[in-house]
Amino acid sequence: MSPIPVLPLVINGCMSALGSLATLKLIPAFKDHFISARLYGMDLNKTNKKEVPESQGVISGTVFLIIMFCFIPVPFLSCFVEEQCTGFPHNEFVQLIGALLAICCMIFLGFADDVLNLRWRHKLLLPTIASLPLLMVYFTNFGNTVIVVPKPFRLLLGMHLDLGILYYVYMGMLAVFCTNAINILAGINGIESGQALFISGSIIIFNLLELGGDYRDDHIFSLYFMLPFFFTTLALFYHNWYPSSVFVGDTFCYFAGMTFAVVGILGHFSKTMLLFFIPQVVNFVYSLPQLFHVVPCPRHRLPRLNPDTGKLGMSWSKFKRRDLSKLGNLILQVAEMLRVLEVKRGQEGDDEFVECNNMTLINLVLNILGPTHERDLTTIMLLIQVLGSALAFGIRYHLVRLFYDV
Amino acid sequence: MSPIPVLPLVINGCMSALGSLATLKLIPAFKDHFISARLYGMDLNKTNKKEVPESQGVISGTVFLIIMFCFIPVPFLSCFVEEQCTGFPHNEFVQLIGALLAICCMIFLGFADDVLNLRWRHKLLLPTIASLPLLMVYFTNFGNTVIVVPKPFRLLLGMHLDLGILYYVYMGMLAVFCTNAINILAGINGIESGQALFISGSIIIFNLLELGGDYRDDHIFSLYFMLPFFFTTLALFYHNWYPSSVFVGDTFCYFAGMTFAVVGILGHFSKTMLLFFIPQVVNFVYSLPQLFHVVPCPRHRLPRLNPDTGKLGMSWSKFKRRDLSKLGNLILQVAEMLRVLEVKRGQEGDDEFVECNNMTLINLVLNILGPTHERDLTTIMLLIQSSCEITIVRLYTGGYRYRVGAPVS
Repeated sequence: MSPIPVLPLVINGCMSALGSLATLKLIPAFKDHFISARLYGMDLNKTNKKEVPESQGVISGTVFLIIMFCFIPVPFLSCFVEEQCTGFPHNEFVQLIGALLAICCMIFLGFADDVLNLRWRHKLLLPTIASLPLLMVYFTNFGNTVIVVPKPFRLLLGMHLDLGILYYVYMGMLAVFCTNAINILAGINGIESGQALFISGSIIIFNLLELGGDYRDDHIFSLYFMLPFFFTTLALFYHNWYPSSVFVGDTFCYFAGMTFAVVGILGHFSKTMLLFFIPQVVNFVYSLPQLFHVVPCPRHRLPRLNPDTGKLGMSWSKFKRRDLSKLGNLILQVAEMLRVLEVKRGQEGDDEFVECNNMTLINLVLNILGPTHERDLTTIMLLIQVLGSALAFGIRYHLVRLFYDV
Repeated sequence: MSPIPVLPLVINGCMSALGSLATLKLIPAFKDHFISARLYGMDLNKTNKKEVPESQGVISGTVFLIIMFCFIPVPFLSCFVEEQCTGFPHNEFVQLIGALLAICCMIFLGFADDVLNLRWRHKLLLPTIASLPLLMVYFTNFGNTVIVVPKPFRLLLGMHLDLGILYYVYMGMLAVFCTNAINILAGINGIESGQALFISGSIIIFNLLELGGDYRDDHIFSLYFMLPFFFTTLALFYHNWYPSSVFVGDTFCYFAGMTFAVVGILGHFSKTMLLFFIPQVVNFVYSLPQLFHVVPCPRHRLPRLNPDTGKLGMSWSKFKRRDLSKLGNLILQVAEMLRVLEVKRGQEGDDEFVECNNMTLINLVLNILGPTHERDLTTIMLLIQSSCEITIVRLYTGGYRYRVGAPVS
């Protein structure tokens, strides 16, 4: 097995640290450009109406790209300087460039979405377009679509299963899922950049643990991307933390989601990576009724500020009883019974009204804890993220025996 | 020598044609999004104050990227389907992906420039950043920095010269030059998309002529990029032609410049490609005094509309005599003497004023022709562009036939 490429990792680490400092400086430096371009938002949970620059993910994303562009020849330097490699590792080179193409395209399309305010269907289309180069590179580099069947299903499906084109659909959907899953667990200062920071930190720890394993190269490849991502996001998190002086924008959610999908797919650990997304998955499942408009969904679902107490409380969706479908009514009743949803019913004039809390993980936490200050709420959400990662490691290294032979 | 890959070229052509139709439809479809995002301009040479969507290069650029993404496996299909290739051509695959990375990054940074209105120094920085992957791919794929010295210099420098790192500087500068050269030959409806259309058309003709030569693979590679570029730009040109219903934006100039630089560098015909840029080079050289502010440079240098006649005339730069440096004064005098610059001198109160026409190729043409209607002016500029291309191609084919000793038909 090839030795650990210490020098490239160290160089990557140093470049990432420099990138972090650069991002830290550039974000305030471009503030006026964003305000002039009308790329700003008002913080709905603050009493002041200050203009907060949006789409700052474009800055951390650009610094990430510059770091990676400069880093491109570094893993292959030994081939040129000392001519140590037996044959030039074209496969690895193509992977690196192909991955960067997918991420670069995603940052571009994400920024275009922020600027042009594209529709919801575009939020599914854009990551699919950006993941095309990834799929093409996978096709030409590996083309492997055979999976190992988890133990419980082996009687039914056998030891191995060739998914064929479904594997590519899975990869495409992974990018769509990661980008949007981060995008909908949002609304309080620092949550988007924070969750991405902790997920990437978990992936880095996972990669480092696996450096001693059989798939060392895959995890080194992942580290090459996760280190710059972690450090540039750290700088963004500094500015985005409560009280936010900048917002990250959809650009960041797209950028983060695609970067995770890329390392998961090309590093062949997408299932483990999804384990690090447990809070996002829970939020997504809980949000499904509103995402499909079975339960009415308002424009914003973030928690609401109580100006008197200065604390955030749950946000609500109010609608007429007769506007609710049978399925919607069933979902409300089941959720209420399971104590994961609070429902109020009342009468106004001739109409019966129903109110339920917006079905987000943040609201669920507020339901349990009661009104909470925004800073504390984000801290708790990030603690949940850490717990989710701990659980993920537990499943990956212990419960895994239930599903696969290790 | 490998046979001409007819099927991939045909597929590329068909995809490009579809992309052209898509671009044609998408541009009007997104008009409202751009206006809402305040990405619009006012046509300074029209009397109406209609809002014209800007940065439409982002649409043609995105369609281009989608075509190319879908096209990525096509040149290599024979390796999978029939397993005909001896070893997978990794070099070519890396070139394709690396080129797309440079172009994609450039479209992105170009769009960011249009939205955020970055400063002039960024217009030099952004193409350099976007060309980095290109340089890295070149380094790992070929790494060849030796050039054949042109005959007049051989006594001095020898037959071959290893430029080393200067070759990479040249490649980086090529991207910066191409993007900005197209950007400054601008200001009349249809000129930016039109010039890019004609340059790419000429490169396509050049590539087709060279398919019978020794460097077939390089020219096939170039065609894979130039065909989608030509057809998406054609659709953009349709909307951008007089009277413009859309403006292309800096996004398009960046996109075009980088695509040309990419095919020129990776196809190893950058010198020939620069020959197709002769009008842009002339405009650039003529603009140098104003670009370096040796001669004062106003915000806009485009020709000015005379509302009474409806024709465009030269635009002028007015400044005080004492604000002009000695070098600036010298340049004005030499240019005036060579009849390439019109200078007016006058007095207003205590100050001596000097007025000279803005030093652009378009103004030079107006100087010769007199006031002209905008549509005719753009047509003439594009005729100048195509005449240069045809001349270069004709000289080239004449020389080519002479070199290989084929009978002149």
